Amino acid sequence: MGGPKGIVFDVKEFALYDGPGIRTTVFMKGCPLRCSWCHNPEGLSKEPQMLLPKEGPPRLSGQAWDAGDLAGRLLKHRDFYQMSGGGVTFSGGEPLWQWPFVREVLDQLEGVHTAVETSGHVPDEVFDEAMKAFDLVMLDIKSVDDRTHRKFTGSGNARILSHARALCAGKTPFIIRLPLIPGVNDSLENMEAAAWFLKGAKQLVRVEMLPYHQAAGAKYGMAGVLFDPGFDTNRQPRAHSEPFKRLGIPVIVF
Amino acid sequence: MTERISALKQYQWDKRHHAFRLRAAPEAAGYQLLGVPDYERTALRLTSALQAETPVILPGEMIAFTRTVPNLPMIYTDKEWEDIRKKHTIHENGNVCNLSPDYSSVIRVGLLALRDTLTDTAYHQAMAISIDAVLDLAGRYRVAAEKAGDTALAGILARVPAQGAKSFREALQSLRILHFAMWCEGNYHNTLGRFDQYMMPYLEEDLKAGNITPEEAFELLEAFFLACNRDSDLYPGMQQGDNGQSMVLGGMTPQGGDGFNLLSEMCLKACQDLKLIDPKINLRVSSQTPLHIFELGTQLTRLGLGFPQYENDDVAIKGLMRLGYAEEDARDYAVAACWEFIIPGKGMDIPNIGALSFAGVVSGTLREALPGAASMQEVTRAVEEAVFARVDALAGSFGSLYVIPSPFMSLFFEGCLKKGQDISLGCKYNNYGLHGTGLATAADMLAAVEKAVFGEKLPVPVLLAALDADFKGYEALRDTLRQDSPKMGNDDDAADQYAVQLLDMFSRAVEGHKNERGGIFRAGTGSAMYYVWHGNDLGATPDGRMKGEPLPANYAPSLNVRLNGPLSLIKSFTKPDLSRAINGGPLTIEFSDTVFRNGEAIRKVAQLVMMFVRLGGHQLQLNTVNREQLLDAQAHPERHRDLIVRVWGWSGYFVELDKCYQDHIISRAELGA
Repeated sequence: MGGPKGIVFDVKEFALYDGPGIRTTVFMKGCPLRCSWCHNPEGLSKEPQMLLPKEGPPRLSGQAWDAGDLAGRLLKHRDFYQMSGGGVTFSGGEPLWQWPFVREVLDQLEGVHTAVETSGHVPDEVFDEAMKAFDLVMLDIKSVDDRTHRKFTGSGNARILSHARALCAGKTPFIIRLPLIPGVNDSLENMEAAAWFLKGAKQLVRVEMLPYHQAAGAKYGMAGVLFDPGFDTNRQPRAHSEPFKRLGIPVIVF
Repeated sequence: MTERISALKQYQWDKRHHAFRLRAAPEAAGYQLLGVPDYERTALRLTSALQAETPVILPGEMIAFTRTVPNLPMIYTDKEWEDIRKKHTIHENGNVCNLSPDYSSVIRVGLLALRDTLTDTAYHQAMAISIDAVLDLAGRYRVAAEKAGDTALAGILARVPAQGAKSFREALQSLRILHFAMWCEGNYHNTLGRFDQYMMPYLEEDLKAGNITPEEAFELLEAFFLACNRDSDLYPGMQQGDNGQSMVLGGMTPQGGDGFNLLSEMCLKACQDLKLIDPKINLRVSSQTPLHIFELGTQLTRLGLGFPQYENDDVAIKGLMRLGYAEEDARDYAVAACWEFIIPGKGMDIPNIGALSFAGVVSGTLREALPGAASMQEVTRAVEEAVFARVDALAGSFGSLYVIPSPFMSLFFEGCLKKGQDISLGCKYNNYGLHGTGLATAADMLAAVEKAVFGEKLPVPVLLAALDADFKGYEALRDTLRQDSPKMGNDDDAADQYAVQLLDMFSRAVEGHKNERGGIFRAGTGSAMYYVWHGNDLGATPDGRMKGEPLPANYAPSLNVRLNGPLSLIKSFTKPDLSRAINGGPLTIEFSDTVFRNGEAIRKVAQLVMMFVRLGGHQLQLNTVNREQLLDAQAHPERHRDLIVRVWGWSGYFVELDKCYQDHIISRAELGA
């Protein structure tokens, strides 16, 4: 009971796009990046906050969990995970921002396949430990261009790319996810650059492209945050998968 | 879909065949004046109804028979019927309904062979009259086909249903005519049963002999499915679409083998191709069923048709045997109009004769028992007494049942011809079934009372006053009860244990009761339309539900409950021993249509269904809905004529439903991706 508490804003059962099989995804609150397209604004702040939906009563987002309680909740559905080749995924926000807590939960999920969806924007030693602790790492690369990255997320990408390199050279199975934002990072050149970056990575399971959805802005009003993404939200992003296919990298568009 | 099928589908969709419909019903033949017995009246009415039919050959159709006379006269005068109603229990509209006829033997031997065995007793003569009426119309259809230049169809109609079918197409045409005639006899919710089992021998033989290619067979099958949608708007039901044309695919054979075959798969694919409300597919599965069959089913779910509904053989067969069904019959179960387990050719069960309102019983008991109760045990004991008392009252309330006889339908049931006894009087199985409505809401009430009254010491008078006031002036208490009490569906024993107990009470309460036909009573988890009726009747309840708020349909969580998700839902709803609630009633899960973005998602949904089966669920039905689309369809019905939804045990066109059913569908919980 003495361990750190985790601030969680959702535990989503049967999350379909967060790794293999039937999975439950834990959304950890708090994120160091400020991506202008973020569709989970309630994940930005580390603190619990009140959400004010258009209809219905106000709702508190962010609940402090004890690691043992959370693990217990997740283990209740171990039979689903095992039958389907699924497991538990930590997402956010940036789940590794609460690494001590997440690690403590992981320790109690023995025999369960675990995955993390991370921005990679975390200290090297944390990323290192996480690579060893998870069965699957799903790393977002928002842009291979540092300037674009800085403009739309508030931070440069040097640390993220170095973690991506560590994955390419390492032993942990990983997935690279590319959010496709119209006019920001969906150009053919960007995809070419990403594909060459990943070429030859042995543990790369596949690349997942996540086209930006217009509905992403919906939660902002609720969280009391202004949605001003700085790109044309009405345009469909392009999904250039050819550069990956040419290099023999499996790719899927969600 | 071939061009021919596509053209015929469009033709029917545009309702061009409605142009052949006559307005007037045939005259009632003044039976009462003649002193004719009831079964003979039915036979005479069938004769006049079929004589009034004009044969119509639609362009490009391969499976003929189209209704041209929309309705039937009563066989009784109003006065006679009034007298009968006074003396008897009348189930629904009084006709034989909701059965699974044994088509296979009639298709195999033909009607003439059956006619040859009839004697000159009055009842057998009524059967003979019925057969002659059907054959007469088939003969006139043959002439019409010849005139239209369709010699292939004419040749088939020259043989069936008089003779036994010799090919897949003959068997389909024979089935179409027999099924058509049942409706004209006045029977309704005439199900199609284990179609893939009784049709497969014809298909197999044709394929083996090279008489037909798989593509031709598929086209014929689609033609038959289209025929099922041709007159279905004329079939009586509670709402448009509630027509009982359910079809059961796969499952264990009476001998214990695996029944899923080539035709089962073709049927699933034809539904996917045609996207129509009929036939409504039930897929029998078990813990042995491979994943790819669940995936085929999920492909259909994705289209938003509201089917397949899954039945779990492991639970259903065991449950039916426990109720006294013979092993080979239990293995051969079919599903009646909605979800009721029924035995083809042997069951005259009435699985929907009444309903226990769990929500009503628990709500009433709490109001009476709470003031004096010192513990939750005392409360549940009072609930148990009330459940038993209600079941006793129900079981005693169906005396002197009268069902309008159906000599033609009786040809499809074991022993009726031989004994000269009409199916309306009973068959091998004569059990009555009781639905159980609002189970989750009832469990939520008990869980809320346990937490608020016995845990947090909410004074009972305050709770009762709040209920009496429909929570006016007690809004904060209502929100607490609504939002902070345990709810069934969240894998929380604090609520789920009460559902387990309530279903256990129900199944024990029906034990030992016999009906006047020697049958037993079966407890179920279905609701049919009772979820609307029972919800309207019910005042505010301790789970925070306000007066008149609807109850969940079938076996589902209460409305407006915040759910953890499908895994918890399935865990909760597989906790009770469902083999003891085998009157049927599916767990219904609504998915947002955004769930199905790719093939991986299809597989995961299929795995979810598989897990439900392995955990001991009895029936499951998944819906794919889009809330915005439903709201838009209410506002602009003309733009959404083809929008299909599942209502309580059947799929229908959303825009043709009454508003209360539309609203209920919109307010059901929707699980997104």
